Amino acid sequence: MISKDPNCYIKGVLDRSRRILAKTITLIESSLPAHQELARGIINQLLPHTGKAVRLGITGVPGAGKSTFIESFGMFLIEKGHSVAVLAVDPSSTRGGGSILADKTRMEKLSVTPNAFIRPSPSEGTLGGVTRKTRETMLVCEAAGFDVIIVETVGVGQSETTVASMVDFFLVLMIAGAGDELQGIKKGVLEIADALAINKTDGDNIQKARMARKEYETAFHFLRPASLTWSPPVLNCSALKMTGIDEIWETVLEHRKKFFATGEFNTKRKKQSVDWMWSLIKEGLKEKFYKNPEVKKELPAIMEDVRNGSLAPTAAAGRLLSFVN
Amino acid sequence: MSEHKNKQKWAEIATKELRGKPLESLDWDTPEGIKIKPLYTAEDIEGFECVNTLPGIPPYVRGPKATMYTGRPWTIRQYAGFSTAKESNAFYRKNLAAGQKGLSIAFDLATHRGYDSDHPRVVGDIGKAGVAVDSVEDMKILFDQIPLDKMSVSMTMNGAVLPILAGYIVAAEEQGVSQDKLAGTIQNDILKEYLTRNTYIYPPTPSMRIVSDIIEYCSKNMPKYNTVSISGYHMMEAGANSVLQTAFTLADGLEYANAAIKAGLDIDTFAPRLSFFFGIGMNFFMDIAMLRAARFLWHEIISKFNPKNAKSAMLRTHCQTSGWSLTEQDPYNNIIRTTLECMSATLGGTQSLHTNSFDEAVGLPTEFSARIARNTQIVVQEESQICHVVDPMGGSYYVEALTNGIIEEARKIMDEIEKLGGMAKAIESGMPKMRIEESAARKQARIDMGKDVIVGVNKYKLKKEAALDVLEISNTVREEQIAMLEKIKAKRNSKDVEKLLKEITNCAESDGNLLEACVNASRARATVGEISDAMEKVFGRYVATTQCITGAYASEYGDDETIASIQKRTKEFMEKEGRRPRILVTKMGQDGHDRGIKVIATAYADLGFDVDISPMFQTPEEAAKMAVENDVHVVGSSSLAAGHKTLIPQLIEALKNKNAENIKVVVGGVIPPADYEFLYNAGAVGIFGPGTAITESINHVLNAIENVK
Ligand code: B12
Ligand SMILES: Nc1nc2c(ncn2[C@@H]2O[C@H](COP(=O)(O)OP(=O)(O)OP(=O)(O)O)[C@@H](O)[C@H]2O)c(=O)[nH]1
Ligand SMILES: [Mg+2]
Repeated sequence: MISKDPNCYIKGVLDRSRRILAKTITLIESSLPAHQELARGIINQLLPHTGKAVRLGITGVPGAGKSTFIESFGMFLIEKGHSVAVLAVDPSSTRGGGSILADKTRMEKLSVTPNAFIRPSPSEGTLGGVTRKTRETMLVCEAAGFDVIIVETVGVGQSETTVASMVDFFLVLMIAGAGDELQGIKKGVLEIADALAINKTDGDNIQKARMARKEYETAFHFLRPASLTWSPPVLNCSALKMTGIDEIWETVLEHRKKFFATGEFNTKRKKQSVDWMWSLIKEGLKEKFYKNPEVKKELPAIMEDVRNGSLAPTAAAGRLLSFVN
Repeated sequence: MSEHKNKQKWAEIATKELRGKPLESLDWDTPEGIKIKPLYTAEDIEGFECVNTLPGIPPYVRGPKATMYTGRPWTIRQYAGFSTAKESNAFYRKNLAAGQKGLSIAFDLATHRGYDSDHPRVVGDIGKAGVAVDSVEDMKILFDQIPLDKMSVSMTMNGAVLPILAGYIVAAEEQGVSQDKLAGTIQNDILKEYLTRNTYIYPPTPSMRIVSDIIEYCSKNMPKYNTVSISGYHMMEAGANSVLQTAFTLADGLEYANAAIKAGLDIDTFAPRLSFFFGIGMNFFMDIAMLRAARFLWHEIISKFNPKNAKSAMLRTHCQTSGWSLTEQDPYNNIIRTTLECMSATLGGTQSLHTNSFDEAVGLPTEFSARIARNTQIVVQEESQICHVVDPMGGSYYVEALTNGIIEEARKIMDEIEKLGGMAKAIESGMPKMRIEESAARKQARIDMGKDVIVGVNKYKLKKEAALDVLEISNTVREEQIAMLEKIKAKRNSKDVEKLLKEITNCAESDGNLLEACVNASRARATVGEISDAMEKVFGRYVATTQCITGAYASEYGDDETIASIQKRTKEFMEKEGRRPRILVTKMGQDGHDRGIKVIATAYADLGFDVDISPMFQTPEEAAKMAVENDVHVVGSSSLAAGHKTLIPQLIEALKNKNAENIKVVVGGVIPPADYEFLYNAGAVGIFGPGTAITESINHVLNAIENVK
């Protein structure tokens, strides 16, 4: 079934075949150059069929309730007649390198809904990491007719910034913790958020969650908003009790409407295309570097020399870079 | 008391016998975290509170009754149920005639999860792993000619506890037996369902209310009835060691006591009606000590509520020998294992006991294997002369020291739980489940590497296994049940039923007693599924969040060639295919046995697979959808509740319909050897029964998925 013929994939994706959509994503995720080459060709052909979906990024600390939120939010959208694709990047990998992908156990209803497609991906072993793969996967899902794409990423490390740079709307999920609300969350995350939602606003937690909302609102006052049209709101929701979900969707739509009106929507997407190009270039250069036979050969020894001080880092870098010219 | 005067001398001689090895090399660290020494003396039990007490008197270490088995031996209570109510009833009556003393009902998984037999999600489950009960009519057949005012009946029911208990009450009523005469036990222990047994229906909060409603109703109307059987058995079978079992079980008990008190009940009205259920494994002395320690701790826990009635703080328990310790390989060895465990349970002072059948790892007991299992107890009870003395282990330096060791270790864990806000909160945090699963993964690694010996599995293996008779439940049970349902629905007054169901829904929304509402509906012939639905409207259906441990399998294994060679293979696979081998592990139907699949998931990830886990209770169609979207190389379905012949072919068919016939299917779990050919013919490419080393199955799976185009 893995075919070498790009047309087979292109047709399959446009015909909305789940099997072929999934296979195409496998090609995108593959570490084999031949697969990536094939994937590039496919995406080129599919590009004209993309761009119409609402692209949403969701982040939050582990356990914030991202997956549960996507289950509730996704089902809400499905009931409104949307078709939803969810891309979940799972960072957990073990000593032996494999990972356990358990996201769908938290998206029990959404995962079995015909109009939903969920693809959890192990993040390990990716050349260029999440960036390229997720972006391309998103496009393929759009070409396959999904009109809302949700990207789930864990809010630790770098992945949230990259995800923010490929979506229209970036939602940060928070939970009300004990004590200082701003602890543990990086200021940088607030800067890229288009909205903040305090999840788990239910049961014994309601009071705390409402307080947290106030505190974050204050925190936002001290940040200069990225756009004059939009100051990121702070909302309360409960993924479990399905409250506040509709409000969040309305916020997304309002943001969209405003950004369309001012033209910021197009500017943003154009900028994202350029970003995409640059990230591909960086990735390509990096790959070229690591694949270079001389680099491969010399790297360990040069690294050792730098480590024990017999070679200056500047000289070492110069030498290694000279191989790729 | 100081050291024994000859202790030094003993050490010298012992060291000599060891020929150079140090004496400490004889110490053994148990999985419970208790260090076992080669010799115990009087000094090892000095000052312990649990030593030198008397039975029938607090703290009850030596038994809840003053005379124990010298007055009356334990009750032989075999857990059973299969197929239709009619067939199970015939089986029960035969067993009672042959010396069994109490009844213990096993329901099928559809019933457990509150589905009627005609529900589309339970096609493969009807009558397979227990008896199918859809309404009070089935209940009446189940107890036909069994006088419910005389027979003590234990029912293992937790999720659908309301319609089942209601059905039992109405069946008795229609036999002419009033509620106050009913004696027996309903398990009604919902907390451990979220932890290990997986037959919950509603979320924890409304489920705890159901428990309280039952306690309340029974304390008013059924004074002789045990309202909760707080169970550690299932935790042990899922992987918990004896300290974890003790701590989690008692913590569950405390949570129920707190709930009842919060509902306004006095400790003495309900605590005497709480009973326990422990699992007894192969560490002979450990589990004798466990029962003694549990009695001590329960007394300590309940005393804090200042009970006036001595019975309130007295732990009474049923026990079951470990099914997990029984093997598919060389199965007659299981009779020996069960005998040892039976001895352990009775020396520990259990009040009643179930002993497993030697065919445990292939299917439900046959008439023959059930007889041997029952006779194991009868022989111990009536031939071995152990019943003449109360707590014969009392005063044994070793057993007393172990008892104290368990008390101390269990207290630590209970303190941890207390800090998390009690057992309900601890379960929410995932802590107890992760501990149990880690313990299970480590155990699996020790077995796979041959460190823990299991005769016939990793040592003294047979070249060829003899065939065993297996009880197979026909798929026609489902049709019979559906016919019965149709008949009932045609005959009853459906207006009444509707009204009474509405009352249940209203009651769920407000705060009446749910059991009372369910008894009324059951009397009018509302079905188990309808009654469950009436509450689901308000409570919703609970979905478990699956957390997974990683690293435990590989770390227990340590640096080892076998492991390294598999990791090398998975790495080569990745280099060739551009990604790691990817497997979807899934549970289909209502089968809630997840120990195996969790162990597989952890170990496979440790060895280099990307492992997708599906939610529990999938239909074949749902599993196939997930396999396709995640684009896995292989689906591994774990089936322990006899649904395999229905579900596996459906899964393979569903994959085909999605143009995914090159996603391979392998099957694990309790699959009788006679079914292998059927499954291979249906298209399965690997079948891995109980006892298969993970290192073996993983190589087989890799063979199956390499070079697939
Ligand atoms: C442990 C256990 C339980 C525990 C389960 C705890 C848990 N969370 O898993 C408890 C006590 C809760 C339990 C309850 C019940 N149980 Co039970 N249980 C067992 C027992 C004793 C051991 C199963 C086990 O976990 N073994 C250890 C694991 C590691 O082994 P495994 O799952 O077989 O997996 C190995 C292989 O099979 C293989 N494998 C398995 N899956 C996969 C998947 C892949 C991809 C691969 C590669 C390999 C693979 O590799 C694994 C490693 O070797 C078996 C009997 C037995 N000895 O097998 C009965 C057994 C399965 N239970 C049985 C029954 C009937 C029940 C109940 C339905 C009884 C009732 N009516 O109430 C309940 C309800 C459970 C439910 N919700 O479904 C019956 C099923 C009868 C049948 N098939 O015909 C059995 C066979 C006992 C019997 N003979 O009566 N049970
Ligand atoms: N009370 C409450 N609990 C919630 C809510 N949302 C999620 N949870 C619980 O929080 C836990 C974590 O939820 P997940 O959805 O797995 O969180 P996540 O952010 O996706 O976690 P990772 O994928 O591990 O980073 C689960 O036990 C959920 O049931 C909510 O709104 N209210
Ligand atoms: Mg998640």
